Amino acid sequence: MNKKLIIDRNSPLNDFGGRVKKSRYLILMIIPAIIYYLVFCYAPMYGILIAFKRYLPKQGIMGSPWAEMSGFGNFYTIFQDPYFWKVLRNTVIIGVCKIFISFIAALLVALLINEIRLRFFKKTVQTIVTFPHFLSWVIVGGLVANIFGTSGIINDVIASTGAERVQFLANGKVFLSLIFGSDVWKEAGWSSIIYLATMAGISPELYEAADIDGATRLQKIWHITLPAIKPTAILLLILSVGGILSAGFDQIFNMYNPLVYDVADIIDTYIYRSTFREWQPAEIGAAVGLFKSVVSFILVIIVDRIAKLSGERGII
Amino acid sequence: MRKFENLSYLPLRPKGSTFDRRIGPMDWVIFAILLFYAIIIIYPFYNALLISISPESVYLNTPFLLYPKEITWDNYATVFSSASLWSGVRVTLLLLFAGTAYQLFFTVITGYALSRNKWVGKNFVMNMILVTMFFGGGLIPYYYLIKNLGLYNQIWVMIIPGAIDTYNMLLMRNYFASLPPDLEESAKIDGANDIQIFFKVYLPMALPMLATIGLFFAVGNWNSWYNAMLFIENPSYKPLQLVLREMITTSSSSMETLGQKVVYSEGLTMASVFFSIVPMMMFYPFLQKFFVKGLVVGAIKG
Repeated sequence: MNKKLIIDRNSPLNDFGGRVKKSRYLILMIIPAIIYYLVFCYAPMYGILIAFKRYLPKQGIMGSPWAEMSGFGNFYTIFQDPYFWKVLRNTVIIGVCKIFISFIAALLVALLINEIRLRFFKKTVQTIVTFPHFLSWVIVGGLVANIFGTSGIINDVIASTGAERVQFLANGKVFLSLIFGSDVWKEAGWSSIIYLATMAGISPELYEAADIDGATRLQKIWHITLPAIKPTAILLLILSVGGILSAGFDQIFNMYNPLVYDVADIIDTYIYRSTFREWQPAEIGAAVGLFKSVVSFILVIIVDRIAKLSGERGII
Repeated sequence: MRKFENLSYLPLRPKGSTFDRRIGPMDWVIFAILLFYAIIIIYPFYNALLISISPESVYLNTPFLLYPKEITWDNYATVFSSASLWSGVRVTLLLLFAGTAYQLFFTVITGYALSRNKWVGKNFVMNMILVTMFFGGGLIPYYYLIKNLGLYNQIWVMIIPGAIDTYNMLLMRNYFASLPPDLEESAKIDGANDIQIFFKVYLPMALPMLATIGLFFAVGNWNSWYNAMLFIENPSYKPLQLVLREMITTSSSSMETLGQKVVYSEGLTMASVFFSIVPMMMFYPFLQKFFVKGLVVGAIKG
C-alpha cells in the first residue's frame, strides 16, 4: 500500500507545500490584509493591556507597572466612580431609544412612501428624504444649532409671541429629543430604502387576492406588508443591538455642550473627553473602553442566540 | 400584452384596491404627510441659505425670514477668500482621491482573494477578519498605536488606517463569489495565474459594484474629521469638516457656554456650511443611484 494514502485526504497537512504553491498568488493578494488587520485591529487588542496597567507611555505597555489589585485596580476605580454609572445609564438610554425610534420612523416612512402611486411624487420624496444621510454630523449639528439656538428660527417665533427665548440646547430633556429628532431627520429616509426594496418584492397577487376579499388598506399593510418585511426588520434590529453602547459618538459629540453632560455624555464621548481634554490617566479610558467592548460583544452573542432559537437567521 | 391584461381586469377591480387608480381621501392624507416631511427635510437648508445671503442687520431684526429681503454676497466673499477653508478643501480633496483609491484597492483585492475557492489558510484569515467586526481594542490603545507608528500629526494618518472596510470588503467578496466560476477555470487552463485572472477577468465584471463601494468611500472621506481631530495638530492638515466643526463650535448661537476664541457670525458659518454641502448636492443624483443599488445588494446577500 502506498504510504501516502495513510494520511487523511482532507487533513490540512496533506501535501501542504504543494497546496501553498498552488495558492501562492491568492496568498500574495491576502498578505496586505493580514498585515492591515494585525496592525490596526490586533495591535490595539494587545493594547488592551493598558487597562490593567498604570500606563507610562514612555516605558511602553510591557514596561509599565501593573495596576494595583493585581491589575484590576483601574476597574475598581471606574466602578467606584458614580459618574461612570451615569455615563453608562445615559448611553443605554440613548442607545436603546435611538434603535426603537429610528426603527419605527424608517418603517413608517417606508409604509407611507409605498402607499404612494404617483411615480413622480414617490421618486421626488425619496430623493429629498435620503439626502441628509450623506452629510456629516458636523454639518447636521451646525444646522440643528442654527435652528434651535437662542437666536434660531424657533426662538424667533417664540419671541414674536412675546414669550421668553428658551435655551433648547442647554436643557437636558429637550436636548435628548433633539438627539432623537435629528437622528430621524438624517437617517429615516435612508433606512427606509431597505424596507421599500423588500416591499417591492412582495407579489402583487397577494394584494389582489386581498382586494377581492374586500380588505382595507390597513388590513393589507397588517397582514401582507408587515409580515413580508419581518425577517429584514428583525435582522436589522439584531445588527443594531451590538451598537447600543456606541449610541452615536459623531452625533452627540457635534451637538452636546457642558450644560447637558448630565444626560448626553455617553461612554465614547466620556472616554475621549476625559483622556484628551481633561488629561485623566489613559488606563482609565482604556478600562472604560474595554468594558464597552466586552459588554457589546456579549450583547451580540446573546441576541444572535435568541434569534437562532426563535428560528430567524443569525448573524454569526 | 401587459396593457391588455390590465384592461381585462378593469371591471373586476374592487373599490379602493391597489389597482384602483382612483384617489381617495386617504391618499390625500398620505400625500400631505409626505409633503410635510419633505418640507421639514428641505427647510433647514433653505434657512441656512437665507441666513448666509442676508446682511447681518436684516437677519437679526427680522424675526423669521421666509424669503430674502436683501441679498448680500459678503459672507460668500469671505468664505471664498478664507485661507483655512481652502486649505481644508485641499486636504479633503487629497483624502477624497488618494484615500478612496487606496481603500478601494485593498478592499477589493482582499474581497477577491476571500471569494476564491479553497486555498491554504483561507478559513483562518476569514475568521481573523470576522472577529474584528465584533470586538476591538477601543480608542485608547488605538491612539497609542498611532503615536507609536509615528503617524501622529502626519497627513497620512487620515488615510492609512482606513485601508480595508470589513463590511464593504465582505460585500465585494459576495459579489465576486456570485460571478460564474467557469471563467476562472478556463483562464487557468490558458495559463493565467490568480492575479492575472483577477485583473483581466473578474475586475472588469465587478465595475458596477466597484463604483458603488468607491462612492461609499468617497462620501466617507469627504465627511471625515474624527481621525484628524484626534491626531492632527498642524492647521494646514485639517480637512474641511474639521475646519467647519471649529467654526460651528465657536459660532455665536451653537455654544452659548463657550464664548472664548474668535466668534464667527451666524451668516458666515452658514455660508461655510452651505459651501461644503453644494458639492454633495451636485453629485447626489449620481450617488443615490449607486447607493441604493449597493444597499439592496448588501441586504439581500449580506
